[in-house]
Amino acid sequence: MAEGWPKKRRILGTKVKRIDGPAKSTGFAKYSYDINRKGMLQGAVLRSPYPHAKIKSLDTTAARKTPGFKGLVIIAPMPLWLVVKAEGDTLEIKSIPNKKKKEKEIRRTVKVTPTVTILRANKIVKLADLKVDDQVQVEVEQDVVGRELFFVGDEILAVAADTEEHAKDVLRAIKIEYQELAFVVSIEEVLKNPDKKTTPGPQPGNITPGKEFFKGQAADLEAAFKNSDATAEGTYGVPVISHQCLETHGLVAEWDAEGGLTVWASTQATINVMNGLAGRFNIPPTKVRCITHYMGGGFGSKFAPYPEGFAAADLARRAGAAVKIMLDREEEITTAGNRPSAIGSVKIAGNKDGSITGFSIDCHGTPGFTGGATVNLGLLPYIYADGIPTFKRIHTVAYTNAGGARAMRAPGHPQNCVLTEFAVDDLAGKLGIDPLIVRRKNLPPNNPKADKISWAGRRNTVYNEQLDLATKLAGWKEKWHPPGKGKAGTVKHGIGMAIHTWGGFAAGGATPNECHVIINKDGSVTAESSTQDLGTAQRTVTAIVTAEILGLQVSDVVVKIGESQYGYSTGSGGSTTCPAQAPATLLAAQNARNELFKKVAPKLNADPKDLVIEPGKVVDTKNKKEWAWKEFCARLGMDEAKGKGEWSLAISNEPGNENISSGQVGGVQIAEVLVDSETGVVRAKHIVAVQDCGLVVNKLACESQVAGGVIMGLNYALFEENILDKVTGRQVNPDMEFYKLGGLGDMPKITVHMMDMPERGVIGIGEPPTISTAAAIGNAVFNALGVRVPFLPLTPKRVLDAIAKGGAK
Amino acid sequence: MNDSQGEPRGGISRRGFLAGTGAATAVAGVTSELAPATAAQPGAAPAHGPGPVLLQLTVNGQKVNTNVEPRVTLLDALRNYLDVTGCKRVCDRGTCGACTVTVNGRTVYSCTMLALEARGMDIRTAENLGGAKLDAVPAAFVDNDAQQCGFCTPGFVVSLRAALDKNPNATPEQVEAALAGNICRCGTYEQMRHAIVQLCKKGG
Repeated sequence: MAEGWPKKRRILGTKVKRIDGPAKSTGFAKYSYDINRKGMLQGAVLRSPYPHAKIKSLDTTAARKTPGFKGLVIIAPMPLWLVVKAEGDTLEIKSIPNKKKKEKEIRRTVKVTPTVTILRANKIVKLADLKVDDQVQVEVEQDVVGRELFFVGDEILAVAADTEEHAKDVLRAIKIEYQELAFVVSIEEVLKNPDKKTTPGPQPGNITPGKEFFKGQAADLEAAFKNSDATAEGTYGVPVISHQCLETHGLVAEWDAEGGLTVWASTQATINVMNGLAGRFNIPPTKVRCITHYMGGGFGSKFAPYPEGFAAADLARRAGAAVKIMLDREEEITTAGNRPSAIGSVKIAGNKDGSITGFSIDCHGTPGFTGGATVNLGLLPYIYADGIPTFKRIHTVAYTNAGGARAMRAPGHPQNCVLTEFAVDDLAGKLGIDPLIVRRKNLPPNNPKADKISWAGRRNTVYNEQLDLATKLAGWKEKWHPPGKGKAGTVKHGIGMAIHTWGGFAAGGATPNECHVIINKDGSVTAESSTQDLGTAQRTVTAIVTAEILGLQVSDVVVKIGESQYGYSTGSGGSTTCPAQAPATLLAAQNARNELFKKVAPKLNADPKDLVIEPGKVVDTKNKKEWAWKEFCARLGMDEAKGKGEWSLAISNEPGNENISSGQVGGVQIAEVLVDSETGVVRAKHIVAVQDCGLVVNKLACESQVAGGVIMGLNYALFEENILDKVTGRQVNPDMEFYKLGGLGDMPKITVHMMDMPERGVIGIGEPPTISTAAAIGNAVFNALGVRVPFLPLTPKRVLDAIAKGGAK
Repeated sequence: MNDSQGEPRGGISRRGFLAGTGAATAVAGVTSELAPATAAQPGAAPAHGPGPVLLQLTVNGQKVNTNVEPRVTLLDALRNYLDVTGCKRVCDRGTCGACTVTVNGRTVYSCTMLALEARGMDIRTAENLGGAKLDAVPAAFVDNDAQQCGFCTPGFVVSLRAALDKNPNATPEQVEAALAGNICRCGTYEQMRHAIVQLCKKGG
């Protein structure tokens, strides 16, 4: 059992300014995109212009003669081969079969031409230099002929040149021919022709059919729909959207003379990038250093080196120079991940007391050409699955010829929330009751078997408290009116709510997250971790925790993060960074303090047991003596005091550690909107977000992150959508002018209320606050108009169409 | 909105320039200094490019020289040739404001201006507001946590500083309007409003 968080907290939970704020706001902070190395080359990627095609021919002769040309790599895996024979212009090689996978040996004979590249130990070698049994990688440029491409933007090859301008010239000089193939980009067409196969993967057509999941019996559900006071039916939907990280994906790669690789990567996971590159280039992970000092947004899409990152590192090893590849905006939107769509036909039944008696949903969504798991509609009915006696759900994944999905901030949850919460309010409308009553009635119960401080043990109580707080902050009682029955006038007022939950974990996973705290003889303190700060203020969290334990000011701590050599840290996903890293830092600081006491106490004739830290000093409680911090540390002489902290899921689950970090939270959001019934424009006026998050580490950053989540949800509700052209298969808005994101003038007032529950320890809240905003806004629009606008984004056209169908005039 | 938007700068647009050179014809409205020489224009000024051309700028008070091709934008010249990276490349087509700098005191999306167009001009980037002394605008962003990933922040800071320089008595509403040409993805607008209120109370 660990010592845990201090009972009296001096800095934790207060409002602390980001320690890197001045550097970031004045442009001095160097992001990966900003790294310019001496002699660095610029890379660019050749991509499929068609949604589905085969490469017919490739000729790079002219490209290789273009001014500034420095290298070309085919984007494909590069397995190791063993040299069988190397004679004249012919190379004979054999594969290295994986016996566990029962692979068979493959042999190949390659005629070595200028477009064949042979690499041994990451260096280009000539045929004449090869010996039998040498391990080599062999790239045969013409192998790319015949390759199938599955979406506009599918990677083919990458080039490097001395300048960005020249890299683009090189791409333009490549002669390539394609055979266009049949494609599908609309989900409707996939459903119409489910057997038509235009995408890769094991599914026979473009569909992975869903399996029906039932709670209760079919007869129960039928009875619920037949015998309840009211039923509501609707088809609701949310679009495919893009992460739109402002710093695009990519990295700068540089090899050193000893065969080590350093990359400056825009990533949410320095350790994953290190391991990914080490595997790709057959070197130990210790020879790869991934640096991510500053990071311009990831939202779930940046967990690996990805094709552009591998290509940059490959170009760099061949050219013997640093290479930068950062995606451009179009590449970012079309190839670097998306949040899948979801469209569901819902039927819901309930009684006048607000109880939901039955729920059924048939839904589908598309992740693009790959990423089916991220569709994740298996949480339906969201929040209320435990409270509703009988329901059924079925969801189908429909693959299309578009860029593949990646996890996006609370994967699956925003979709599940909209599909469920829209139906709940439609049912309340049919029942003629306040939707607040329906929510309270169907909340999941507290689990009497679970620990009382855990989420499961208190979720009903917490949700009810959150509903109390949120309705009070939003003025629900005064402002709610039956749907479409607000004050007369062309601008309609509406208010709506939605509830969310997020699993999360109390740490990153099985491997312990590390932090190292070092106290020096001059009293200076350094905290080191490979964790990355995506904008979550993780750098500041590390300083806060260290300063709290050592009696220092936040500014006294030098934080070194975002470098893979500082030991293991989890990738920043699932809102697990803070609950993994803050405890690791806590333990590191406590261990460093103990080490300091152990080393210095004998020199002061004190017993380490009697020493305690108070702000700025060390106190001997027995002998009533005290030393200023620097004075005390000076007694280290030529030594230093080091502490290592480790935190994993297993450690967090040990008895007595439940107060240090936890997972699982809930939140309630209420949106107030104004809808212009003549123009169809929806404006959010006020959004209230009540969020529980365990022990608050930094109130300032916590509130800011919740407000940011709300704004991302608002963009989802009102503006964002990847729009694909059915004729060409191209995205028509791969930019920032027609892919809409709200600006300052579009923003409502946002009221954030953090429910502090220090007894639960640290919980991550990166994802939860973005889940329910869109559903709350959609419900507020329903409340304003008295008619459902069923599909996001709630564009003026969709609003006017809904009004034309019978909403408020 | 950046106050240069919608007004001709007397130079040429990036798109117009590219279209012009692509078609190998002179572009209407091009200043003679930059006009590509063609057979149809006897006696025209010597052509610039396609190879690198000397570029002299004053960046944050320092005179700097480099050589860039005429097609290089001011943004790319600053980032790739002069290692001034406070201006960020995000949309690269005049929408998001992350590349905002001031050119002779006026805010400009540096991705929409050719570097040669800015020859001899006074360029100020976000770095000009930091270093030894932190300007009140970035300080207000830090105080109110009006930044998360921070990639859009330098652009916002430059726009906001310019708005307050233009009108030190601007109201929060006027300042918000001046920031309509900048986009943040992390969603720090609520905190930005707190920063704006703090700055307007101080009178810029």
